[in-house]
Amino acid sequence: MPTKWVLHWHPNPGSTVNSQILNEVSQCAEAINGVKDGRWKATLTLLKPNLREDQSQPGEYPRELLGISLPEQPNKYYFILRGPRIVTEADSSIQVIMEKLQSYKSRIALYFEGYQYQLGDFQLRVGKVVSSHSENLRGIVLEVEYLPISSMEKASQVLGEFVDIWQEAVLKRSLPGSFMHNEPNLSEYGLGDNYTPQHTAVQYAYVMAQLFASQSTQAVRN
Amino acid sequence: MDVKPNFPMQFQQQQLPQLQQQQQQPEPQAASTPSTSAGQPAEAPPKQVALAMDRLAQAARLIADVRIGGDRLLEALFFAAQSHQSNKTLQFLLKEDASMRQHLQDLRTVGRQLEETGVLNDSMKSRGNSWGLHIPLVCPDGAVVAYAWKRQLAGQAGASAVDRTRLALKAFADQKRRFFPHLEDESEDQSTEPGSKKLCRRQAPLTSQLDELGDFKSVADVLARLEKEVPNVKVLTYQRRDWLKRASSLPSSGNENSIESPKEQSFHSLNKMRAGPQAAVASERASVIEISFPCTFRAVVSLHPAGSIDPDAVAFFSPDEGGSYMHARGSSIYHVFRQITEHAGIGLQHFLGVGSEIALYFLLNWICSYQTLFTKVCSKCGKLLAADRKSSAILPPVRRSFRQFYPVRESSAEANSSTKDQVFEIPGAYHIGCYTDEL
Repeated sequence: MPTKWVLHWHPNPGSTVNSQILNEVSQCAEAINGVKDGRWKATLTLLKPNLREDQSQPGEYPRELLGISLPEQPNKYYFILRGPRIVTEADSSIQVIMEKLQSYKSRIALYFEGYQYQLGDFQLRVGKVVSSHSENLRGIVLEVEYLPISSMEKASQVLGEFVDIWQEAVLKRSLPGSFMHNEPNLSEYGLGDNYTPQHTAVQYAYVMAQLFASQSTQAVRN
Repeated sequence: MDVKPNFPMQFQQQQLPQLQQQQQQPEPQAASTPSTSAGQPAEAPPKQVALAMDRLAQAARLIADVRIGGDRLLEALFFAAQSHQSNKTLQFLLKEDASMRQHLQDLRTVGRQLEETGVLNDSMKSRGNSWGLHIPLVCPDGAVVAYAWKRQLAGQAGASAVDRTRLALKAFADQKRRFFPHLEDESEDQSTEPGSKKLCRRQAPLTSQLDELGDFKSVADVLARLEKEVPNVKVLTYQRRDWLKRASSLPSSGNENSIESPKEQSFHSLNKMRAGPQAAVASERASVIEISFPCTFRAVVSLHPAGSIDPDAVAFFSPDEGGSYMHARGSSIYHVFRQITEHAGIGLQHFLGVGSEIALYFLLNWICSYQTLFTKVCSKCGKLLAADRKSSAILPPVRRSFRQFYPVRESSAEANSSTKDQVFEIPGAYHIGCYTDEL
């Protein structure tokens, strides 16, 4: 499977993300000769345990369960437990089962959607982050994928240099912020060098964490 | 008197004073039918053709004689009209009359002979000739050709020969420029002295080293040497059918990874099992060599004829690609490997030019230099990625130099060590835009 890095938009202190920035970023993708290929959408759901009153030991259940559906794997659903560093893959019908079981309830869902661009052997996905609660733009996410190889280690130099090229292009537009790539410690999740959708799922979990963290600091500042 | 008299030939005419008009082609006799078997033994068509040609030539000479005779008669008559030496004129006229009759008689004979063999009419054309030869044809304008269609061809060939030669020359020049640019450089590039000197100097050790490389008698020899020199390469040989099976069974990048590794492992173990007692036999009939560096690339080299050490095509693919299109003349779905394949084709031609016995050895070593494809920065601009101007794809350095690629002797600690290690110089890596043909 091709290797991928997921980056998120980190606004400068004091500024917020808006659709103007999203437009500029999309134009950036086209400026480096990216060819618009189609739309994409991923969904991340934050699940909280549905505790009943007679539950004696609420501590047994992880307080937070993340579920992700990815566009490349329409028949799969991925769960991430960030505390114990667990990621698993399940059939997409698990969502129906969860609904029926009522063991976990969806607290908030984030939608990542936008356009994808082809750039030779690279594929770029620019997406806005919108929550299920409101229509406001919560953030911008960028997926950079190098198609020919599936080894994280071999691709890291290539992806790194591509991101540098990308950052240079974005810098020219003098936008209030920049893209950041915090590489999560994938080996802690038991993930190896060969790229898998689970790698993507974990990266999204971290992006979500970053988004909430930056927004809470915004809220505090405001 | 500049008017040339026309003398039509009529075989039945016997009267002298009448000026006889003469044509180049004697009129065909409507009444006489050629008796094909009359007085002629069955001769082979080539002999018939030769005879017919002879007779036609004879007829032409006789016709010329008659013409000259006619001229002389005219002259004599004119002279007779002018002067009054009637006796001399009379003698002259009688002499001319006799020779003229003789000529006409001969012509009549030849004509009859030709008609009998069917030269002057169409009777032979319809008859199939078992030797496929046609009786010579006398064309309307008098030219004689041995085969009817030869004239048409001659005309066409003449006109198109120049054009075809021009096109062929152009095609060859293009191919030469594309595949053998160094040949052009050597002949034209006299101005850049350091370059050409460098070329000469570095080629000198090569020719002496060729002997020291030893004999590569078989693919197994080459591969054994290669595996010794390049530590982490995976090389396998196949017969063509087996390779096709393997290529089709390779998982393509969309598949689940969990399926991939056990399948590959089982295939490798299967290959090893098969290769046990029959390893020597398999490599003798090998026509495909697979070189793979896990996670980097997979290269396919085809040998022609099978079992020889002559490479004839090479192609690069992603390690995750799979499908029946993966063969030495196939094309990867990724830009980076397509570019390398194209460049490797030129490299292959270069190595074949260096020496046919060592071409495979050099080629395989050069292929192995691509193991640093995604890590080695360009030797010219120092960066890993660059955009290709033509396709606007962003690519790593896909071109490795091959002109200066040959083994150098590593300095060994012992002075009289018999086994001198020969290691290939690591070639420079270049982006498409950074690469020049002299490298």
